[in-house]
Formats: sequence, C-alpha cells, structure tokens
Amino acid sequence: MNIKYGVAATFNSAKSLFDAAGKVREEGYKEWECYTPIPVHGLDAQMGIGRSKVPRFTLAGGITGFCTGMLIVWYMNAFDYPLIVGGKPYFSMIYPFPVFYELTILFAAFGTLFGMFFLNRLPRHNHPIFEHPSFGRTGDDKYMIVIEVEDHKFDDEATPAFLKDVGGKSITVIREPVN
Amino acid sequence: MPSKLRWGSNFIQEQKIMTEQAKKDIDIKLLAGAVIGLGIGMGGLILGLSSGDKAPFLGWLWGCSFWLSIAIGLLMLVMIFRVFNSRWTPVVRRQMEHGLASFPWLGLCFAPLLLVALFGQENSGILWSWINPENMTVDGIKVEGITVADDVLHQKKSGYLNLYFFSIRLIFYFAVFCGLSFWLRKVSFKQDQDGDPNWTHLGVKVSAIGIPATALALTFGAFDMFMSLEYQWFSTMYGVWFFSSGIRSALAVTILACLLLMRKGPLNGIYKQAHQYDLGCLSLAFTVFWAYISFSQYFLIYSANIPEETFWYNIREINPNTGEVSLWFWVSMGLIFGHFFFPFIYLLFYKNKINGNRIAFIAVWILAFHLLDLYWNIIPGREIVPGAHVGYEARPVFGTHLLWGIASLIGVGCLCTRVVLKSFNSKVAELIPVRDPRIIESLNHHE
Repeated sequence: MNIKYGVAATFNSAKSLFDAAGKVREEGYKEWECYTPIPVHGLDAQMGIGRSKVPRFTLAGGITGFCTGMLIVWYMNAFDYPLIVGGKPYFSMIYPFPVFYELTILFAAFGTLFGMFFLNRLPRHNHPIFEHPSFGRTGDDKYMIVIEVEDHKFDDEATPAFLKDVGGKSITVIREPVN
Repeated sequence: MPSKLRWGSNFIQEQKIMTEQAKKDIDIKLLAGAVIGLGIGMGGLILGLSSGDKAPFLGWLWGCSFWLSIAIGLLMLVMIFRVFNSRWTPVVRRQMEHGLASFPWLGLCFAPLLLVALFGQENSGILWSWINPENMTVDGIKVEGITVADDVLHQKKSGYLNLYFFSIRLIFYFAVFCGLSFWLRKVSFKQDQDGDPNWTHLGVKVSAIGIPATALALTFGAFDMFMSLEYQWFSTMYGVWFFSSGIRSALAVTILACLLLMRKGPLNGIYKQAHQYDLGCLSLAFTVFWAYISFSQYFLIYSANIPEETFWYNIREINPNTGEVSLWFWVSMGLIFGHFFFPFIYLLFYKNKINGNRIAFIAVWILAFHLLDLYWNIIPGREIVPGAHVGYEARPVFGTHLLWGIASLIGVGCLCTRVVLKSFNSKVAELIPVRDPRIIESLNHHE
C-alpha cells in the first residue's frame, strides 16, 4: 500500500526555479520545498522562509548552563559542604566564574545541536522524496519543487496543473510505500 | 546591479560626494579643531612641566591613545583580511586603508611625551615616574616611600625599563606602524592603477610579516605607555587587552564610516546588508573577546592575591586609605555592564546587526565605552601623599586631567580625521579596490 506524499516538478535552471518558487509562495502554499544542486542565494526569502529558529535554543541552552553552573557551585560550596578555599568566599560571582561560563558554552552548544536536530526532525532514516525516480539528479543538474499533500491548498488536479503553469517539467506524483 | 557597472575612471567622478566648497569648509573646521585642541593640550604640557603637574600629561596620553588604538585596530584588521584572502572584505578594506594614513601624525602627537622624557631633566619622569630615579615611589613596607632608584622592583626591571631602551622602543613601534601602513596602502592603491595581481600576493606577504610585528609592537607599546605608568604592576594580558579594544573600536569606526558613505551615496548598493552583518558579527566576537581578556586579567590577579598586583585593582575600586568604595568602582561596574554586557546582549540579535540605525547606535556606544576603558586604565594611579595612612592616595575620577584630556582628544581626533579625509578625497585611490581579484566576490557578497 502507498500513501501520496506530494507532487514534484523539475526545472532546468536556477533562474526558472527561483521565479517558480516566488509564484508558489504567492499562490499561498506553505508545505513545500525546493531541491537544488547548488546553493541559490536569496531562495529562502523567495520561498517566504524566515530566519532559522535555532538561535533561540542556543540562548535557552546558554542561560540554562549559566544557572546550572551557579547552582552547582552554590550547592556544593556554600550549602551542602561549606568550605573555605584559598580565602575566597563560599559563593561569589568571581572565583567560580570559569565554571559558569564553561557550562554556558557547553549548554549553548547542546542547545544548538539538539535544537537543530529537533527543528529538522532528525534523526530519520528515510524520506519519501527518495521515492522520486530521478531525485538523484537534484544533486547534479536538475532543480525541483515539491508540494506536499499536507498543504491546505493541495488539490489532486489543480496543484500539478499549477506546477506546469509556473514552468515545471516532468510532473511526478510521489508515493510513500507503507507496510 | 554591480556587474553592469563599468569599472574604472567613472568611479573617481562618483567619489565626489561633496562639492569643493563643502570639502574646504570641513577641512578648515577640522584644522581649526586640531589647532585649538592640540594648542590647549600643548599649553597644558608646558604649564605642567613648569609646575610639575602630571594631569596634562595623563590627559594628553589618554587623548592620543584613543585614536592610536583605533588606527592599530584598523591596521590589524586590514592585515588579517589580507592573509585570509577573504572574499567579502575588499569593499570595506579600502575604507580602512584610508584610516591607516593617520599613523605618522599619531607618532607626532606622541613625540612631546618622549621629548619630555628625554630632555625634561628634573621633570623627565613627570608622566612615567620611573624615568627619573629621584622620583619618590610607593614602597610595600615603608609608608614614607622611597626613591625609584632604591626600589628593588625597579632595579630588577631596569634592564628593560630604562630611558634609552624605552625611547628606541617607542620609535621602533611607530616605525613598524608607519612602515606597514605605507606598504599596505601602496599595494592596494597601486593595484587600482595597473591591475597587477602580484600586488595582492605582495599584500599577503607584507601582512604575514606585519601581523606578528604589529602584535609585538602593540603589546610592548601597551606595556611601555600604559602599564609602566605604575611600573611595579605587571600583567601579561595587557597587550591582548589593548589589541581587543583596538579591534573593537576599529570595527565600530569602520561600520560608521561605511554607513555614512552608503547614506551619502558613494557606497550605496555596494556596501550591503551582508557586509554589515559580518562586521556586526565580528563586533560581537570581539566584545566577548575583550570581556574574556579583561576578566582573565582580573581573575588571575584576584586569585593570586599578591600585593604587587592587587593594588592596581584596589585603586580602581576603593579609597586605599579608608577602604570605602570610591567613584572608580562605579566606573569599573560601568565597564562590565556597559562595555560588555549590554553590547553582548544587543549584538546577539540579528536585527540589531543588519539595521543601519541600530548598529550605528551600538558602534557609537562601543566607542564611548572604549574611551572610558582607556580612561580607567590610564588615569588611576598612586599619588604620593606623605601624611596618608598608606603613604599615597588614588587619583580621583574627576580632575584637571579630564579637561586637558578632552582638549587633546578633540585636537588629535580632528587632526587624524583631516588626514583620513584628505586620503579619501585624493585621487590616489578609487572608492573601492576596483581591480582587486576578489572585488566581484566582495560586491556579490551574500549572507
């Protein structure tokens, strides 16, 4: 059994893909993606995609790390087992600062890495797009736009026709095999 | 679109952002500012020499070193861009190269301090007290104080801290700065005329030699000019602190200059959001770096807790005789929160880096706090006061040194701005390095 994943259209140049992407965005599609063999500058804006949300995870991780560092030092050195070391106070913002900032950096890095994984929905072992017979060519000389069935505007007849209108070639329906 | 522009002579025409009359007006204003500011500063130096007052000298050093630190930062950035063969930088690098024209004049501004040290006789040690062995200094044991000649902390350092070696070093530093800026400007400007890519290779070679040379010159320069004001104190972080401050202020100046040129017209469509974003990111990186260095210096001295070192921070926090918190403490706090914390949080946000007004605000902010940082590093010191509990008093935040300093700050600033504008308006260079092999990549730079 298969379920339908989306409709793909190929393009022969970055320019035709870029123009088509603008039209897809204007048409109001949300769940769609471009596949290109080379980075196309400005494509994110053309697709209406904003900035990555990863920095928010980084910031949250950093703040968590800073507070964790303070908590560790305060709990160990000032609360659980107060100990004078080198004439320094039990707790201060100065002598344990390396601990604070090392944990800030560590947790910020964790936030970045795992935030990226989360936002990319990784790890995943397969993707329905690989069912497309010539998907490999998007790593070589073809550009591709895929509109997913999930999209609220997706229509079995209108969407393939629309992709043809904006200049797409070899319109293909991608089906995801399900056991 | 940049690719449609015809490269070559038409840029010289477009470069005329001001009428000849407006240029002359600005030139006269800057000249007047330089003459008045430097005149007042010089008058202060002469007054100080005759009365033995240190304040005008401290003010002069503060005023000059602000502009020197910017020029050194620009020099380092130009060389770093060169050795990394970076693709996005040629457009902004040219604006920095104009800034390098100020080095010989900065050398002239520092000359009076050296002349006083060499020929000031009984006042030779008026700024750097160790220069005159007769000067009284603070002793760790005896509250009355001792002469520099009797101070073991100077005796042990006298192989390095002696007038003749010091004078040779100061001249050598400026020779390094002036020589490198001359060559870096030459390789860049000559390429505009003949388009020979060998100038780029030569630029890389000059920079590869120049980076360690400048690093050493600015490190030992910071030791000699600022650290030796209190010669008992020492910190190996000090040169790196000066480097990071210089880079931060140079980036701020570059951002302001590019924004101004973009809004006035010449760099419109050339200086792009991507360039500004990258300069903003560098500003953020060096904000963190400055904090890292400044905190590390404090942290090591705090942890080791040796009186020879801790007094330097004590006079920046408390009144050494009473132990009460002094005004310097609030300046120190201002540096932590104003020079690090606020710019750090502010520059984390993408929009603050790409919006022209927002980044211009933080660039001015960083320059203002850099000025305060230098003030905090240069002005506080131990004034020998025989009756005092510990034998000395910390120099206060406000005093005549601030007034003399503002005069020389304006004077040197007008002088340097005039030199840089002259370089910009002259026909020696195009607005951007039009024949640099990386120019197309720089024009098409993208985030």
